[in-house]
Amino acid sequence: MAAILGISGLYHDAAAALVVDGTVVAAIQEERLSRLKNDPGLPRRAVAACLRLAGISPQDLDAVIFYESPYRKLERVLRWLLESYPRSVRHFSRALSVQLGSKLWVLDQVAELVGVPRARVRCVEHHRSHAASAFLLSPYPRAAILTVDGVGEDVTTAIYRGNGTQIEPLGSLPYPHSLGLLYAAMTAYLGFEVNEGEHKVMGLSAFGLPRYRELFQKLVTLHADGSFELCARYFEYEHGGELGFSADLEHLLGPRRRPGLPWELATSSSDQRYADLAATLQSVTEEILLALARRAKRETGEDTLCLAGGVALNAVANARVAREAGFSRVFVQPAAGDAGGALGAALLGAIEAGDPRPAAMQHAALGEQVSVEHALGLARQLGLSAERLDDPARTVGELLARGSIVGVCSGRFEWGPRALGQRSLLALPKESQTRERLNRLIKQREPFRPFAPAVLAEHAANFFTDAPNDLTPFMTSVCSVKPEHRANLAAVTHVDGSARVQTVTPSATPLLAAVLSELNQHTGAPIALNTSLNGPGEPIIAHATDALAFLSAHAIDGLLVEDCLFRRPN
Amino acid sequence: MTTPGVFRRVASRAQTLMELVRHLLTGGQFFLIPLLLVLLLAGLLLVLTEGFSYVAPFVYTIF
Repeated sequence: MAAILGISGLYHDAAAALVVDGTVVAAIQEERLSRLKNDPGLPRRAVAACLRLAGISPQDLDAVIFYESPYRKLERVLRWLLESYPRSVRHFSRALSVQLGSKLWVLDQVAELVGVPRARVRCVEHHRSHAASAFLLSPYPRAAILTVDGVGEDVTTAIYRGNGTQIEPLGSLPYPHSLGLLYAAMTAYLGFEVNEGEHKVMGLSAFGLPRYRELFQKLVTLHADGSFELCARYFEYEHGGELGFSADLEHLLGPRRRPGLPWELATSSSDQRYADLAATLQSVTEEILLALARRAKRETGEDTLCLAGGVALNAVANARVAREAGFSRVFVQPAAGDAGGALGAALLGAIEAGDPRPAAMQHAALGEQVSVEHALGLARQLGLSAERLDDPARTVGELLARGSIVGVCSGRFEWGPRALGQRSLLALPKESQTRERLNRLIKQREPFRPFAPAVLAEHAANFFTDAPNDLTPFMTSVCSVKPEHRANLAAVTHVDGSARVQTVTPSATPLLAAVLSELNQHTGAPIALNTSLNGPGEPIIAHATDALAFLSAHAIDGLLVEDCLFRRPN
Repeated sequence: MTTPGVFRRVASRAQTLMELVRHLLTGGQFFLIPLLLVLLLAGLLLVLTEGFSYVAPFVYTIF
């Protein structure tokens, strides 16, 4: 029996996760607490919060595991400096400053950050962390595991076989042949922020057609065995490029889109071309992921699949893998990106310490609790009205049925990038005007980005094809909205008829399930529009302070914190 | 979360260096050790001259 802390950080998505006696006690992304989106530091606040939630001190930790090996990473950089000599000479100082100035010593920094002896700190491999985070929390006793991301140490893609508590490596693809880096470079090309705008590219892709497949064949070659290669001349990950792609890419695909320009898909042929490029990228990504999943199936012979790594946040590609790769079931842990590596590292440490495999993940509420008393104190100072409710779900359901937009803070906040009912903004899914109102008042999103529906799991099949499944509780897949319901679900149906559905059960998300039941009484459909409770460019809200600041800044109709409804003064 | 003493910090970094050397030796990458030593010495010079000022422009660059 052991207490193991897992940590990711010093790149992007800093996070901490704590596993005690084989149970996941807490898992927290630093951005929720630091309020810095994709916080790239070390998870100082998240570590403290995890220990607080478990009621233990650093001295009680048996091990602290960092989610990747700084030694393998340095080895890759040194090899590249040698292999690229003399071209690499001008990068020596940069390699020095980043690797030897900071990243090599990350385990020392972690020991000092947590307050444990250095001997208790160690590291595991990046893709093994990803694999563990997906498989060990999946409902499958055995599974194929596929991890796909930008780069972890010197590997971009890996296949494992999971069996009980064992994770056996079967094969990998080396850097720089990376599906994540291809998607990141094209995200930058399309004018979005890397590590933040990838889901925007996914949303945009539905507005285009994959017309540029021949050009993409020059960028990436897919082999018969499921592996692939990127053509180096189009990318600049290593040679000081600011965008990740080279001038050759612009010669091939045309000039890149300037960041920050408003999108005019209906009237601008240029923007339509960018949408077609996004559609081509999405199509190529899906085909590569599908080929890799089929290879994982061939190599393992397993009937179930666990996906992890940043590419596994591509819900559209996940849906295609679930449909076409030949597996009966597919699972993606909600924090599939690098934050999830912290959880995987902690789980690997727990298994190594002899603890049992944890139960399958039922919900993602692994963060800190919201405090209604704190919210009440702040509301008095801010002049916000507050009303204690006997039946919060009933009141919220009634408000939503009348067309209101209501924020919800309930229990512990979510693990991962999706709002799953603990820190959500809810509205009726019916009118497309709702989407416009949300965008105008709060989100200020690009017009092509869809909002997602939350539906009671027991009713999901009435409205959506292929739901519920193992992906839908965590919004890591898309489903098709049944044609007869699209008019009534206009605010949550994407232009291609899909929706990133969350299926809700009372055991996993009690308040949201009760709200949806109430909505069913009023509208005949237990479905709400569910988007994250945050302003544009902000991390999702964690605590009462953030929530009331949000209410003060945005003209929503109410904010529920546990059983207390807060409103702005008229 | 206390700040450790100088002796403990030096011991911690020595452990990291030992782990790095062990990694390079066991992985058959011993030919990288001379390059690493040169880089470490140059790094020490940079530290002494306060020469670190670089900010990586692209988040996915390999460093």
